[in-house]
Amino acid sequence: MPRFLEEEGLYVGVRPSVANRNLNKMENRLLHEPDKGRKWFGEDGRLKALPDPLKKNPSRPFMTDEQEPYLETVFRKAVMREFDYRYIDGAIDGTGRYQLDADINSIVFSHHHLFSREHVLATRLTDLYQDYLARKKKNMTEFLIEKVHILPIITLCCQKFLFKLHCFCRHTRTVKDKEEEMDRQLLKNIIHTWKELKSIREFQNYNNTPIKLQVIKEETSKKEDQLHWKQEIEEEVGELQEDFEENYRKELERYKEDLDRYEKQQAAKAQEKKKKKIKEKEMSAADRELLNEEDLLQPVMPETFDVKLTREKVKAKAMAIRRRPGEPKLFPELSNTATITPTNQCPRGEQQRRDDVSKTKVFVKILFNDKEVSRTPSKPLSQDFRVTFGQIYNLKIVQWPESIKFQIFEARALGNDLLADLYAGIPDPSVTSQSVQLEEMDFSTDLKIDKTNEGVGSGVPFTFDVHGTNTMILMTTGILCSSVAWAVDSDGTPLVPPTTSIAPTNYYNAMKMMDPVAAIGASGVVDLDKLAKWFQESRLDPNDPNNADLVFMLGSKSTNVMQSRDFFRLEQLQQEFDLATDEEMAINRRFRLLTLRDNEIPEFKNYKMAPAYERELPRDLFMEYERKQREEERIKETEDIEAHRAAVNRFMQRVREQVMRRFRLAQHQKRLEDVVIEEVVPNIGIVFTRLLHFGEPRRPLRPIRKERKKVTATAVRGEQVKILLNIIRASSIPIRKSAAGCLLYWHQGRAKSLSKVSKSVGSSFDNQEQILLFQPLVRPYIEVMFQRNTVRTSVGDGPNPSFNEELELPLKVTNDDYSSNNLQSMNDIVYINLFDEMVVDMSHDDREKGTVVHQKLEKKWLGSLEIPFSTIYLNTKIDGTFRVNTPPVLLGYVYEDAMKRSDLESVLTKTEHNTYISMFLTIEPQLITPEPVRERFSTNEDEKLLLHAEKWQQELTNKHPKRLYKPSVIDVNGKSVFVTRYFKPLNIPDDIKDLNLTTEGTAERVAHYVSMIPFVSDTVVFPGLCDIWSTCDQFLRMLAGDEEEHAVLLMNYFLHLGKRAYLLIGSAIPEGPTAYVLTEEGSDFWFWNASTGEHFSYHDSNCPVQVVGCIMNQDNVWGNIQSYEKPVQMDFNIANTSAWRPIFSRSYPSPMLGSIQPEMLQYVATDKKHAEDLQERIEQHLKNKIMDWRSRTLTRWNRHCTKIMRKLLPILEESRGQEISQHHLEELEKQFSAYKVSGFPMNMPFVDLEKLVEAVFSTGVHTQESAEEFALAVYIHAYNNSVLSVWIYVASLTK
Amino acid sequence: MGEVHVIGQIVGASGFPDHSLFCKWGIHTGGAWKVLSGLREGQTQVDNPQNHEAAFWSHPIDIHFATKGLQGWPKIHFQVWHQDQYGRNELYGYGFCHLPTSPGIHEMECSTWRPTGTFFQQVSQFFLGGGPQLKNPDLIYSGADRYKLHTIAMGKVHLRLGLILRNFDRFGIEC
Repeated sequence: MPRFLEEEGLYVGVRPSVANRNLNKMENRLLHEPDKGRKWFGEDGRLKALPDPLKKNPSRPFMTDEQEPYLETVFRKAVMREFDYRYIDGAIDGTGRYQLDADINSIVFSHHHLFSREHVLATRLTDLYQDYLARKKKNMTEFLIEKVHILPIITLCCQKFLFKLHCFCRHTRTVKDKEEEMDRQLLKNIIHTWKELKSIREFQNYNNTPIKLQVIKEETSKKEDQLHWKQEIEEEVGELQEDFEENYRKELERYKEDLDRYEKQQAAKAQEKKKKKIKEKEMSAADRELLNEEDLLQPVMPETFDVKLTREKVKAKAMAIRRRPGEPKLFPELSNTATITPTNQCPRGEQQRRDDVSKTKVFVKILFNDKEVSRTPSKPLSQDFRVTFGQIYNLKIVQWPESIKFQIFEARALGNDLLADLYAGIPDPSVTSQSVQLEEMDFSTDLKIDKTNEGVGSGVPFTFDVHGTNTMILMTTGILCSSVAWAVDSDGTPLVPPTTSIAPTNYYNAMKMMDPVAAIGASGVVDLDKLAKWFQESRLDPNDPNNADLVFMLGSKSTNVMQSRDFFRLEQLQQEFDLATDEEMAINRRFRLLTLRDNEIPEFKNYKMAPAYERELPRDLFMEYERKQREEERIKETEDIEAHRAAVNRFMQRVREQVMRRFRLAQHQKRLEDVVIEEVVPNIGIVFTRLLHFGEPRRPLRPIRKERKKVTATAVRGEQVKILLNIIRASSIPIRKSAAGCLLYWHQGRAKSLSKVSKSVGSSFDNQEQILLFQPLVRPYIEVMFQRNTVRTSVGDGPNPSFNEELELPLKVTNDDYSSNNLQSMNDIVYINLFDEMVVDMSHDDREKGTVVHQKLEKKWLGSLEIPFSTIYLNTKIDGTFRVNTPPVLLGYVYEDAMKRSDLESVLTKTEHNTYISMFLTIEPQLITPEPVRERFSTNEDEKLLLHAEKWQQELTNKHPKRLYKPSVIDVNGKSVFVTRYFKPLNIPDDIKDLNLTTEGTAERVAHYVSMIPFVSDTVVFPGLCDIWSTCDQFLRMLAGDEEEHAVLLMNYFLHLGKRAYLLIGSAIPEGPTAYVLTEEGSDFWFWNASTGEHFSYHDSNCPVQVVGCIMNQDNVWGNIQSYEKPVQMDFNIANTSAWRPIFSRSYPSPMLGSIQPEMLQYVATDKKHAEDLQERIEQHLKNKIMDWRSRTLTRWNRHCTKIMRKLLPILEESRGQEISQHHLEELEKQFSAYKVSGFPMNMPFVDLEKLVEAVFSTGVHTQESAEEFALAVYIHAYNNSVLSVWIYVASLTK
Repeated sequence: MGEVHVIGQIVGASGFPDHSLFCKWGIHTGGAWKVLSGLREGQTQVDNPQNHEAAFWSHPIDIHFATKGLQGWPKIHFQVWHQDQYGRNELYGYGFCHLPTSPGIHEMECSTWRPTGTFFQQVSQFFLGGGPQLKNPDLIYSGADRYKLHTIAMGKVHLRLGLILRNFDRFGIEC
């Protein structure tokens, strides 16, 4: 008997195809063999043509026609490959197969414009019935009734929680009542609707819907019901009574107390009155008080419980919500058994309506990433307003899915009506078409369609009855049954894009896949154990050649051999040939240094001259690095403020490293412009304009600065690079008080002399006057300090000197690295100090007076200006007139115009005392500034919005290249974020809120608070990167940021205060491109510099804002398209479209973007004690430093003076460094009268001790040799979130 | 612990049917080798010679290895790609060679090959460009059985490499 292996369920394989003729020949020949060739035939009686899988060793080497997998080649078409992150594989011809299955099942309309009135009612009835069923299923009422019955019993059992249980009981009863009421209402509604339906059917004489309601009555015995009813009412009444009584008891107690008190008082008063009559004079104060006491009200007796009334109430309630006794229980039941009247029996209108319904066709479009990819055939509507498609649409995709949209259309004779847009969610990778379930999506449309014949229309009012009462409007609504899932191919593998790169941001991986060389990596290690286990569990057919490899690998070896091998030798016998061990390699410090340097770790990034021998490496090379590494591992909350600062720093470091890592890739991706420098070929037009320049008249008195060549970092040799300063002039410098007196005198004198001029021409002032006149008002000069190098100008003359001097300062760079990355991260500051040079006569000896001149020069600090190096570097040059930061208290000096005003009161109205310096700063030779990373950042914004913004920006930038327009910025995650998302009212710090100031006062306070958050340029935090805007909570956590962060925070505070505030992006001096806050103050506009806390009016000619680019708030961004860009000349009415171009206008309405700011800012009060500790520490440190700097002479500290200054500093903080009242000044002067004091207070945010020391050093107080004593006081005002305002008052005293 | 410093350049390629070429290169080493600094892989620009019989890239290579053994001596492997007049890229050849084992300047030539594919593929390639590529590019430098792979010889890649070896003599390896 032949066996048929295939029928037995075994795999037999495919026999090689041999011509039947040849096969027959062969069989014939074998049959002629002696034993009839038995061994050549298989069990099925056919020639053996396949290898026997049961044999241990193959009798013939296994030959397959298919190629070895590693030798396989694929034919690739020659195509251009441009990387596009929108594609899953990075390019359109990606190898991956990804498929989405969109299943469109059916649409059911819950309202349609062709609904007849009956349909409307039927739908409503169905809805109500569904509701009823749902409630029934929950059976809440029964449950509650049971509960109400049970509860009193429980109450009896446990007396302990009596009160609580009572409460609970009452609560349950109210809930029960409510539920019962709803049940009854629902039932009523159902029956009512059914009645209406019936009446309509009767009225129109035909049926449109198969709906039928049957109400099943369950008779109940009246007696039993009544008993039940009564019992329940009694129960409730009893409960109420109990409650009442408890209340009553309490009330009664209170009543008794009150009564008692009342009576006592009455008695006492009566007695007093008697007394009064007897002896009015001797009435004691206490007695009088008693008499004057207000009379207590006579207490009212609480009411007793009225059983009757309560019972009536309860009864009435029960009547309203409960089934009456004897009334049958009703159970509605809905069925679809009513017959629909055939169309030919209907009146004409209805016939037409039905006709229209069957003519109406509906179809669905499927849009993938807003492109139509397929659509269903348009199918007619059935009479019950249902369309069944039941089709699955396969979408083979190459792009990342961004949106999947279904559009439901109703086909009409002419054109289609879009009923609704429905967005289907992009399925998770785990959702495949095998596991997905149909989803119901509701849709509705506001399309208005008038009623035709019998239909009710959609979006138009209609009535049920002829009388026209009770109109209602219904919109077309419905439900779409559909699903979207990832497809599964024939092998059962889901066609899902790789999850590792499912986020479109991660296009580096995709890049890697494109480059085969980069993709080379160790293949995944196969876990043999797991494989074997799986093999055993899945019971694969061992005969199947597809599994042959597996069987061979697992089956030929016994299991214990397999288990003993839990490792895999990659390179056999390697060890014998090793020259060194891995450990030796790992501990080699030179190798480590080289690797770290190669990885661009900041500490070693530009380490030059790595030594050739390990022994030559400095011993402590890695100490710093390792310490940092360790520190990063344990960041813990610390108590100390300075430690907190350090923690903040570390946090910032971490953020920075994360950001850097993210951007490094983008940085290393070069574009053509980065590699190839292509000079623009000048066109003919330029040549002509050049030629015209020759004809221009020369203007030697109006020199123009020439453009300089930029030098690359490699071309720069050390010490060549300098900072050039051209100091042109200074104006309104305060003058000495001693000199001021005579100035005043001179003014008066001149007025007098002018009147006398006609009389005595040529006559001069007398001698005394002349001497006074020639005493200099002030002898200012400017000293510039940078990296502890100092240069100075010569001494100018008078309060408005002209210097016109060029100064040079060498630039020292760490590691001699002039690359832009390193330069950007320098946070040195150029200090520009204004001093007054005093000549002090030293000669005490009168005898020598005639022959010897012994004088000493002394300098007095008048003000300073700080410009961060990064600002100079990024702007290449800074040119303009700057306001000098002058101390609020400058003893011994006075402003000239203040003097004049006292003289000529009428002329000047302004009170601001500002000193200005005009200068020009640049770096020589000009260094190349870093190009911002222009890579397009990934974003979560709407593509369309970004495109619109880009267009807006492009358009405006072309017109006004100097102005900055910034619709989107980059957040800390390296994503483009639309800028309006940064604005949102945020709560102001608690301690400022607690002060309860006026709005104006609070605004100033808040500005001061913001300005006390340290300023760090973005380029320092994130070198080599463009501007990164952090959100306010990140900013407050990092406690460092540049203008934008300050401005955004301040603006959000202002919004919270209810001001109309905008963020202004533009250019200002000295910051260059920057952000200010613009607020509307009545008719005036104020510019707030958030990093200094100052504000300027827009018609202030010294307003630092030079160019206004755009302004923005939470709703919109407005670009400046006026012909002027200086604030003074501008129109700030943003509604004026000829002056401001908004991004969101009528043509592109605002999509109402949500904010990325947190809901609320969290403030932590700063520990005052720590602040005081720190204050002391700073003071000690500064004193030590000053003594160090004055190591040649003895430094004495004046305690008295320090005490006065300590008292003064909090007052200054209170007034936020503005002019303090004359009163204080006078007091101060009086107290200092014993000495000649030269000193001033400084205010700055706290960053670290180094910064403070540097600031004190730059003032040069310590250089005053003649000073006998010094005084130094430090005051720290701690705001929330450890924002510290540091005041340092340093002064030198001479007797 | 030997150190190998490779300094040199990929000069160019010659002998290809057309010479607007670029090349992707990489250096593959055994497990005992560690890159201290420098790039292990890269891609040259597309050279578009007008009259020459060769493409020149002059692509710098500067890489510093440390090793604890001789096994897995670095191999440099190439994929030469052709860019046609439409800007489309197609594969022109695979090739690899070991880095020299002696110090000094070495002028090297590396021959390349490419899979031929079926007759139909060849016809398609002749008219439309493109061509068969290895599914698994590891094969370029791994010594598996390749007797079933049909290839055709392409041009040569020229290299000029300078090698500096260090510390090998300490372990009895003369160079």
